[in-house]
Amino acid sequence: MSTRMLDVKDLAVSYGMITAVKGVSFNLDEGEIVALIGANGAGKSTILRTISGLEKAKSGSIQFLGKELTRLPAHKIVEAGIAHVPEGRRVFPRLTVKENLMLGANIVKESSIIQQRLERTYQTFPRLKERQSQLAGTLSGGEQQMLALGRALMTGGKLMLLDEPSMGLAPIIVEDIFRIIKEINEAGTSILLIEQNAFLALQTASRAYVLETGLISIEGNSSDLLKDDRVRESYLGA
Amino acid sequence: MSTLMQFLVYGLQLGSVYALLAIGYTMVYGIVGMINFAHGDFLMIGALSTFFLSQAFSSFAVNGTYSGLIVALIIFVAMVGTGLIGVSVEAIAYKPLRNRPKMSALITAVGVSMFLENFPRALPFIGPSPRSFPMLFPAKRFQIQGVMISTTQIIMIVLSLVFMFILYNVVNRTKIGRQMRACSMDKDAAQLMGININRVISITFFVGAALAAASGIFYASIYPQVDVYMGGWLGTKSFIAAVIGGIGDIRGAMLGGFIMGITEILATSVNSNLGYAIGFVILILILLFKPAGIMGKLTIDKV
Repeated sequence: MSTRMLDVKDLAVSYGMITAVKGVSFNLDEGEIVALIGANGAGKSTILRTISGLEKAKSGSIQFLGKELTRLPAHKIVEAGIAHVPEGRRVFPRLTVKENLMLGANIVKESSIIQQRLERTYQTFPRLKERQSQLAGTLSGGEQQMLALGRALMTGGKLMLLDEPSMGLAPIIVEDIFRIIKEINEAGTSILLIEQNAFLALQTASRAYVLETGLISIEGNSSDLLKDDRVRESYLGA
Repeated sequence: MSTLMQFLVYGLQLGSVYALLAIGYTMVYGIVGMINFAHGDFLMIGALSTFFLSQAFSSFAVNGTYSGLIVALIIFVAMVGTGLIGVSVEAIAYKPLRNRPKMSALITAVGVSMFLENFPRALPFIGPSPRSFPMLFPAKRFQIQGVMISTTQIIMIVLSLVFMFILYNVVNRTKIGRQMRACSMDKDAAQLMGININRVISITFFVGAALAAASGIFYASIYPQVDVYMGGWLGTKSFIAAVIGGIGDIRGAMLGGFIMGITEILATSVNSNLGYAIGFVILILILLFKPAGIMGKLTIDKV
């Protein structure tokens, strides 16, 4: 019996007059990879941004390891153990690769732990070690995605929120990134994944929720959803 | 030749005033993304508070001059005090508007500037009339190769270079500096790294206002008269200096400040009215030929 890690209940989020998320409930157990799939504008990114505190919830609750997150500022949520890899990677372009990684460890005080994590991150992404003194803005898209993942690893978070890790990348690089995502998960980090490529998401995650205009329409095990007619028609193009 | 060198000394002296003030404009713009039009008034607060502090310490003065230790203490207290006023201004006036359209913060800044000039003016013990600034630095003069230089000038130029050197290294080599640079590039991503951006912004305002105070003390040491409006015109010129150097870039603000100071002195030596205009001439030339400023780059970041 694994423990409940993230429990989102009746979450609603709005931007001014527009309600982007209209009462969404889902959960994630420790060690799982769970995917949120859905079309553009369904509210997926908004949900992740609200979990990590970049947006304020209008109502509902977000419990992480028994702790309520909706009232916490974003920088406290990182300390609670959530690492968010945002849409479009958002690396700091005019800082070096190493400075970006060091910012990932911003909340860590002990330099021995920072060093240890840096070495582990370089092991996972040897490419980043080669380019450590290069400006992040000069990296290729795939390398920037690796840096964004590496930076999240440096925070030491127990749950990683991944927003469209495949966006704008060549298929062969997407394959690479998803292999690494699975490795990160096997090493003990739980993952909440958003992905436009529903097939890829369902292959990676054990469970998934389908989002439609701010509401969850379908949920279930990935293997079942891969066979579900509605999912196949709307998201798998089959 | 020695005349030119003499002008260069005056130019560096005035330039250090502009450079210290321009740093605050550029740091706030870089990190918060707004032009703090009240920044020049921090210079006035620094100079005025130094005036009152030196009065409070007047019993320590011997024949109107203060010992180095007392002067250092006065400058330190004035800088820290002005820094804290800068932090309060941000917390009270700008923070509530952070997620509003840029124009709101801009107009608020103009309002803050009016308040900072007119509130002290209304206070009976400050009032509108100019005060003569005390001699803080020894006024010894000596001549090198026909160039007259005073200890005040040396202290000013050296101290401002020291402040800039420290600031540059803090921004580029320390953890808080790295947090500042991260905030200037991407505030959302910075928060996701666990950075408390409110704290970073407060520190930015503190540093900017404290350096403005130093700038005000230096300016009042050259032109020993202080009043509540002194920050306005100086603020405008330093803002121009920051734009010339490339707004958002600290080295640019320093360079822009010195360029403004030196050209202003040179132009004034030709015609005293030209001194006021030259800054704008340079600004127009820069905006025409290098719109991002000397150090600024129009970068396209890959996404």
